[in-house]
Amino acid sequence: MIPHSALLNKAKDRKYEPDPAQAPTEDYHDIVDQLEKEGEWEVHRVPEPYVEVTNKFGRKKKIPIQQTWHHKSCGQCGHIPGYSTSVFWLNRKLGLDYNDPTNQTSCTAWNYYASATSNAAAQGAVAMRNFAAAKETGYFPIIHCATSFGHYKETRQQLIHIPELRRDVRDVLAKLGRKLVVPEEIVHYSEWVHAVRDKIAEHQVVDMSGITATIHPACHYHKLVKEDAIHSPDVYGGQRSSIITSTLMALGIDVRDYSTWNDCCGFGFRHILVSRDFSRSFAVQRKIEVMKEEADPDVLITHDTGCVTTLDQSQFAAKAHNRNVGLPVMSDSQLAALAMGAHPYKVLQLHWHSTDVKPLLEKLGIDHEKAWAEFEEACKRLESGAAQYLTWEDCDD
Amino acid sequence: MTERPILVVGGGPAGMEAARGIAEVGYKVVLIEQRDVLGGTPELANYAALTPDFRDAGEAMAEMAAAIQNHPDVDIRTATTVTNASGQAGAFEVTVEKDSGEEKLDIGAVVLATGFQHFDPGRETQQYGYYEYDDVLTLVDLEKMLKAGEVVRPSNGEPPERLCFIQCVGSRDRQIGNEYCSKVCCGVAAKESIEVRKLLPDCKVFIFYIDMRMYGYWENEIYWPSQEEYKVNYVKGIATDIRQKDGRLLVRGEDTTMGRPMEVPMDMVILSVGMEPSAGTQKMAALFGLKMNKYKFIETIGGALNTVATSVDGVFACGASTGPADLEDSISSASAAAMKAIATVRKTALAAG
Repeated sequence: MIPHSALLNKAKDRKYEPDPAQAPTEDYHDIVDQLEKEGEWEVHRVPEPYVEVTNKFGRKKKIPIQQTWHHKSCGQCGHIPGYSTSVFWLNRKLGLDYNDPTNQTSCTAWNYYASATSNAAAQGAVAMRNFAAAKETGYFPIIHCATSFGHYKETRQQLIHIPELRRDVRDVLAKLGRKLVVPEEIVHYSEWVHAVRDKIAEHQVVDMSGITATIHPACHYHKLVKEDAIHSPDVYGGQRSSIITSTLMALGIDVRDYSTWNDCCGFGFRHILVSRDFSRSFAVQRKIEVMKEEADPDVLITHDTGCVTTLDQSQFAAKAHNRNVGLPVMSDSQLAALAMGAHPYKVLQLHWHSTDVKPLLEKLGIDHEKAWAEFEEACKRLESGAAQYLTWEDCDD
Repeated sequence: MTERPILVVGGGPAGMEAARGIAEVGYKVVLIEQRDVLGGTPELANYAALTPDFRDAGEAMAEMAAAIQNHPDVDIRTATTVTNASGQAGAFEVTVEKDSGEEKLDIGAVVLATGFQHFDPGRETQQYGYYEYDDVLTLVDLEKMLKAGEVVRPSNGEPPERLCFIQCVGSRDRQIGNEYCSKVCCGVAAKESIEVRKLLPDCKVFIFYIDMRMYGYWENEIYWPSQEEYKVNYVKGIATDIRQKDGRLLVRGEDTTMGRPMEVPMDMVILSVGMEPSAGTQKMAALFGLKMNKYKFIETIGGALNTVATSVDGVFACGASTGPADLEDSISSASAAAMKAIATVRKTALAAG
């Protein structure tokens, strides 16, 4: 007879053994390299030193640490500028070389995923134009927006498998005087944060062990070309992407689960454009309220422009209806910067966020009134014409 | 010329049946099994009862083993593996290895009965959390509980009040490349649902399915009784993810009959994992130079009229080594492979005079 104890085997005792041979798709590395050998394109190699991460199936991916070319996000720069500022601030504080280009083109993926525009050759040309621009600087592209990130990976799949598309895109780039260049890896900025999370923890000056957090993984990070997303055996049994969670764990934060973890933030692309009320309701009722009821977090951390804006700004109207909202939302880069002592307004620019972050700052022992006064003082200098914009030196004052 | 023995690789139901058939006709057979016991997956995975007749699996496997264990023409080598093979039909040289060392065998024909392995739900495309949640189990795990006569939630040791099966986990799934139906999971789930209801009459049991595939008599033997007699609820729809909520599992997906999303609380979820070629099947296919199909099962080349011939003359495959198969099919194909292997050996001997 089978012993009773055997019947009670727990999930933690079940060992999932990732096997790259069992991945549902081919390994793009091999094909990308083969096409380079055939003269189809040039591969932009990940600069050393890099960190190797694994996906759900044990396949490796190289994440560059420095010499990174930052492909920014339209909505991020427009709605939550502290998001990308925090990424750059982290690079500077960690002493890592990076490039903040001024000649990047929008990826057009938002309209594509909203079924609104574009065609394969146009999308391929935009992607490869940006990759070529990165290669010309010698810095390796790193993508801030999860939608651009996911879209570029889908575009890569198309370019890998459709020679006619490669030809069309090559012709477009030739008119721009550029070569067809594909990066060895397509890297999301949060993968870089994941890769340097231990360095961030080494420089941590704000104790975060007293706070709890929930995370929201961006659909376009872990559902598009899902086998490329980072997984770790010690996070969710290796079954769900460990992105963000692993970073928060390194910072000592209590990360709590909730039952709609896998759901969209509500953005939905077409929904945010043509059915925004649905987006707002979904964000509040399916995400924020569920988190608050089940996990009662101090903060919600995510890693994409659309997710931060939707989850944060959707709470505004809901508050008027006395819904159970009021959960601060920020990116992993902002929280990591905060942990390393970044200024909450000059760097994180939390005043752009709709939800009240002051209770969180108070719980972290950060004097937000003093910080706000410092920020206002800096703004006065801009108003007086003494300076046009804040500098990194201003941020560290 | 003396007829060379026939090599049977695999000591599960198909391998034991092939060996029994060969010996009963009066030919010598060497049965190689890598584990130290016979019985194959039903023994390894602690099957409780066979589908569809509810016969005690242990008793059935013991009966099959007894039929060959003392047979003078059956040479059983357990804890042994095949490590090399060369030659051609009628004259193979096969190297086998066990702790005591290597041995070369002169073999006339080969029957591969190396079977399948259950799909690892860690590779699923949905989010079912087998490695996250204690109370998410597989058909195999539940089979073990049924064998012990006790179905309890691993999280707290309590019997479930609500239990569901999710069908087609690792089967009929283009995302992971297993487009095929594993044939047996629907029947096994229906059988297990009846066993759960017998054991726990107060437990509500659900089966979420794409299509229930009840071949032949299974329709009447297990499908209708599970609904009509044992009140199992069948819900057409695909579950997309499972999360914990309020100490229970929340199964979410789409009820396609009602055309709406569903969220259903459960105490236990049973993933109906499908079949994939076992490591042994893939290894033997490579070792004997056999063609495999895109799923890495051994490819048979004879179409519908010859279900056991492989791409190498004199090597035959049966059971679930050639694709998903239920027990009835496995036993039938084992007999067919045995007959063709005997024919190969006999023809070789006759040709040699």
